[in-house]
Amino acid sequence: MTEEQAWIVQAQQGNDEAFTFLVEAYQKPVYNLCYRMLGEPEAAEDAAQDTFLKAYQNLTRYDNERPFGTWLLSIAAHHCIDKLRRKRFTSFSLDADEDGPVELPDRNAPDPEGEAIRKQDKERLHRVLQNLDPIDRAAVVLRYWQDASEVEIAQTLKLTVPAVKSRLHRARRALADLWEEKPKRVRAERKPYGSPAF
Amino acid sequence: MDHRPFNEWLLENKPLTAEEKQSLHSHLQTCTSCSALTEVDLALKSVKLAAPAEGFGDRFKVRLAAQRKTARQRNTAGFILLTVSVLAAVTWLAWPYLGTSLRSPAGMLSSWMTSLFTLWTDLRALLHAGWVVVNVVPSLLWALFVFTAATSSLVWALSLVKLNKVVQGVQS
Repeated sequence: MTEEQAWIVQAQQGNDEAFTFLVEAYQKPVYNLCYRMLGEPEAAEDAAQDTFLKAYQNLTRYDNERPFGTWLLSIAAHHCIDKLRRKRFTSFSLDADEDGPVELPDRNAPDPEGEAIRKQDKERLHRVLQNLDPIDRAAVVLRYWQDASEVEIAQTLKLTVPAVKSRLHRARRALADLWEEKPKRVRAERKPYGSPAF
Repeated sequence: MDHRPFNEWLLENKPLTAEEKQSLHSHLQTCTSCSALTEVDLALKSVKLAAPAEGFGDRFKVRLAAQRKTARQRNTAGFILLTVSVLAAVTWLAWPYLGTSLRSPAGMLSSWMTSLFTLWTDLRALLHAGWVVVNVVPSLLWALFVFTAATSSLVWALSLVKLNKVVQGVQS
């Protein structure tokens, strides 16, 4: 029996300390999934906490044959999908981020320009991600951040493997289109002010 | 522009031959749509895991304690509400008899005893009638009836199990 399995068994028997170990071990992947899904740190913190609470309350229903991480991420993904469907979060992030404070690149960094570009790309990616359908978004997050296989994604999101494949293709195509489209739009908007010819 | 093989190659992430890699490389130089696909792929792979603020575990403990307290309060409130409701219902139902029983407790007791005796007699009559029916109906018919009832119960139980199967992780 691994250490994690021992914690799970102890937590199932009502040992809170053992469950806290599981929280510490899985806080990062769960929070990351919630953050990428919801787009806001506060909402992500809340959703991650709710995920662990739900897991704690349903620990007796956990099938020990299944990886604990997959089960936990499944709860998190469905929780976020439900939240997104209920609140229709999709539009907030774009507007909120654009109005929010702009982080300046670190001048002391070895490559401030590269750092700034990376930061911009990261923010751009974060924004385009928010435009995806919630289930597609969850599939992308699990694929890229959790390094999950198509089978694991299918188990987590209760989909078939071909459905996961098709969702991932669709999502990546949509992301690429948004990625390609966004700077064009920004360039078109900035054109009158950007060129001295105007 | 025809993106067909390149699009599939990029989306499938399949290993390519040197020749295919060369042709993909040339295509990416001219096709913004396919190069956007690789750019997004790279960007997705380069972003690190987002981590929660320090003390996530401690905040969870606090939340768990608060949730337990709320659950306890809800249970207590529910118990009190149930007790009050049952008491109110019993009082309301017993109200017409209360006055009588307070005025003449012996009369009330005798009336209850009579009711109990009537109930006992009725039950005995019913049992006797049931026994007569059992003896009149042929045993083959009984066997058929028991078999049908057992099969229906089994089908019912199986459909319940199938319909109520717990799906892991889904909490809606």
